[in-house]
Parts: sequence; structure tokens; C-alpha cells
Amino acid sequence: MASTEQLTFAIETFKRIHPVEFQRRFLSQDTRHDGRAFLQFRATHVVKGTIGTAQGSATVRIGNTTVVCGIKAEVSEPDVNTPDQGYLATNVDLSPICSANYRPGAPGDEAQVDSEHIFRLFGEVVDLKQLCIENDQAVWSLSADIVCLKSDGNVLDAAIIALMAAVEDLKLPQASLDPATGVVSANKAIETQLTLRKRLFPATFSLVDDAYLVADADDAEERLTTATLLVVLDDQGHLANVWKRGAGTIDRPTIARCIAEAKNRQNVVSSALE
Amino acid sequence: MSGAVNDRRRINGPARSVEPIYTPTVLDSVAKGRSDGRGLDHMRPIYAKAGPISDAQTTASASGSAFYEQGSIRISCAVYGPRSARKPNARRAHFVCDFQYAPFACSKRSPTQSTDEHETSLWLSNTVGPAIRLEMYPKSSIDAYVTVIESDGKMATLAATINCISLALADAGIETYDTVAACSMGLRDSQWIVDCTHQENAECSVLVAYMPSVDEVTGVLQTGKTTLEVHEQGVQLCTNVCVRVYAVICRALQASVE
Repeated sequence: MASTEQLTFAIETFKRIHPVEFQRRFLSQDTRHDGRAFLQFRATHVVKGTIGTAQGSATVRIGNTTVVCGIKAEVSEPDVNTPDQGYLATNVDLSPICSANYRPGAPGDEAQVDSEHIFRLFGEVVDLKQLCIENDQAVWSLSADIVCLKSDGNVLDAAIIALMAAVEDLKLPQASLDPATGVVSANKAIETQLTLRKRLFPATFSLVDDAYLVADADDAEERLTTATLLVVLDDQGHLANVWKRGAGTIDRPTIARCIAEAKNRQNVVSSALE
Repeated sequence: MSGAVNDRRRINGPARSVEPIYTPTVLDSVAKGRSDGRGLDHMRPIYAKAGPISDAQTTASASGSAFYEQGSIRISCAVYGPRSARKPNARRAHFVCDFQYAPFACSKRSPTQSTDEHETSLWLSNTVGPAIRLEMYPKSSIDAYVTVIESDGKMATLAATINCISLALADAGIETYDTVAACSMGLRDSQWIVDCTHQENAECSVLVAYMPSVDEVTGVLQTGKTTLEVHEQGVQLCTNVCVRVYAVICRALQASVE
């Protein structure tokens, strides 16, 4: 007959084999496994201009999550329906480099969904008319690629902040179209930056284990998350976007609380982006 | 010129886009000596860190990782393994390298970038693979995923990639015969110069991947044409520089343990 003694484990072992219980031990005591308060975000650092080969770039770190965004500018003909507008294509790249959850090769579901969401968000930020070089003939085409280098939860927030910083960092050389040859030449000595319509400040909240509302969940907490809420504010503090993901339910007072907390986060992100 | 493929899984820009013709600035003019003031046999300063990703200790983190910088070349590598292989070989592990450029890594996006990546992945597997003691891990697979965040000089980036993978493998604790160190040289005015940047366009360049402790070369790559004597001289010089690179990688590994 086996002894009914309780098994005791070293912390690391317990964390590995009972990840849910491990998190519950902390959450039930009103704290998180890394010592943060429930609504405390991790330290956020933004560095602009990190990639020399890109016209605009930024590296963002939220705790251990590291994301790099590079914007490359090329020239192309505008779309027939919008002859004075350029292009901005945003793509999120989640690869095995950052986490074992992702497969190499073509973008997976999460990357596609994030890319699409960020694309729609930034449609309000960048005025595509500023990308016009010559009406109906040549426009700038910006390819913004957000590569996740290290994933420890909340990649979406980091991606939005990185793209925001990269767009602010973007320097376009002065371009002119030669009407005779149809060739666009650019002068790197004179550079202009874009004037943005608005700036976006994201904040992600997760409902862990269907009971605890935490801000900026890291990888271990994301595994127990039943629902996630992304709140994006603009510079006036107005709601730019609210996006709820996950099968779990979040009640309306909680959503209101998240939106209120997002305002605090906005100040932090805003100063990080300076 | 960006590829004309309409990828359903990505947000696509216009079907066709080209780089504008950049009017040459003062910086582009060919300078005597090297543009960054290095000696002909000086490598760019190397910063290597073992374990930036794997240290995060999340459940889905890699077994080993490395972040490598050489001048403005930036590369990140994650090694997973030994883990169970899909098609297990009873005698040895299966080593695969997956190489990719970040979309903004090169100064010019070329449509052949993806075929380049495939070819480079295969070449890397064959260059770094022989250093690993694959017989120690039967029926398992070791995967190295490399992303070039910023590239500056094609051959130099390849050499840096090999250094990065070696560092990540060591960080993962995978048994190897030795750490592979690589470096590249370009031929200019019949003189070999070490570690050419993208601006120092050499018509002929050579890359050597070398294991100093066992005195074995795991890979030699040459582009451009030159005489046999000059080529042999280049390979010899390159091998000598590899020993210096090896010392840097070992120091980085030491630092990660301390």
C-alpha cells in the first residue's frame, strides 16, 4: 500500500509538472509569480533607429519579450482607385526563434490574425497621402515587418509599440520622378518624417484561470488565460480600439476597469516612446 | 524589387515595387584604406551573448540561444534539442538549420531571397553539422533556427551566422568536437582584406569555417574568380583569423557561465 505522505518538490520541478497549480498558489494570495501586482505592467524600453538597413526601425522590450520592427520604403505605382496614396503593409513574424510554440515557414494563425489587426489599427495612424511622390505615377510603399525575437507573453502590445516607434522614426529621402525615363531618384541628404494622424498606446489585460484579472500576462500566465482584452487609446485618451480574444467571458465592469487602467499605461508608454 | 507573389497569409503591398535610385552622397565615395578606419586584417568588433532567449525560462523556451553582433551585423539563433525526431534514425541525431533573413535585414530586398535562404540553410547544416557528435543523440533531432536581423556584407553575414550557431549549440549543452569559428575575406587590388562590409564590395571573397582545437576545416566557400595561389593564400589567412574569432566565442561562453 503506497504511503499517503504528500509529495514535496523543489520549486522548479513543481513549476514544470503542475504549472496550473503553481500559478494558483500565487494568484490566490493576491500576487503573481514574478512578484508584480495584478495590474502592474513590466518595465518597457523602446529604442528607435536600431536597424541601419531599414528606413525606420525600433526595438521594444517589455520584460523579457523583445520585438524588433523594421520599415523598408520602396517606390511603386499607386492603385488606380487611390492615385495619391501610398501603401503601408504591416506583418508580424512569429518564428521558432522566439518560442517553441511557433513552426518555421509561412505565418501561422496567430501571426496572421495579429498582422491583420495591426494593419487595420495603423490605417488610422499613417496618412497614406503623405506617401505620394507624384500623383498617379509614383508613391512610397512601406513594408513594416515586426519580428519577435523573444516571447515571454504579450507580444501584441510590444508589436504595436514597436510599429508606433518605427513609424515615428521613419525618415523618407526626398524623392522625385523623372518624367522622361519614369525613374524615381531619391536624395538621402534631405529626409522628411511623417506627420502622424494620431498615436496609439496599447494595454493588454488577461483573465487568468477565469477568475483573476492581470495586466501584461507573461508566458506562464498566458497559458492559463481564458480571455484577453486589448485596449488601445490615442493621444487624446479616446478609445481607438478594444479587442477581446479568447473563449472566456469578461463582464462589463471589468472591461470598464481595464479601460481606466489603460489610461495609466498610456502615460508610461508615451514617455517610453520619447 | 519586391516579389510579385500575392501571399494570402500576409498583408501585401503593391504587386511591384522598386528601390529608388539613390543619388550618391559624399559618404559613398571610395575612400583610401577602409571607410571605417580599420586595418586590412582587422575584424569588426564582435559582441556575442549566449543564452538571451533560453535564460527566460519559459516553458516554451529554446534549449540554447545566442545573440551575435559583428559591426552592424546582428543575428539571433535558437537551438532546440535534442528532442524526439519525426523520422528517428537509430544511429544518430538529425541536425537541421533553418536560416532566414528578417524582411528588413538587407539593404536591398531581392526576389531570390527565399531561394538564397533555402540554399544557405542546407549549407549551414553541412558546415556546422560535422562538428556535432550526432552519434551521442540517436533517434533525436537538433534544430537550429537563425534569423538575421541586420546584414552587412553577404559573406561576412554568413560567417557571423556560423559563429552564432556554434555559440547557441554550446549554450544548449550539445556535445560537439569543437566550436566552429568562421570568418570571411575579400580580395581587393590583389590583397586580401578581412571582414568586408556591404560597401566594400569585393569581386572575389572566401569564407572558411574552422575548428581550431582539432585543426579541421568544416566549410570553405568562394565566390568570384582568382588564381589558385591567391585562393590558397586567402584560405590560409582566413584560417588564421578564425582562431581569433574562436577566442572571442569562447570568452562569450565563459561569461555566460559566470
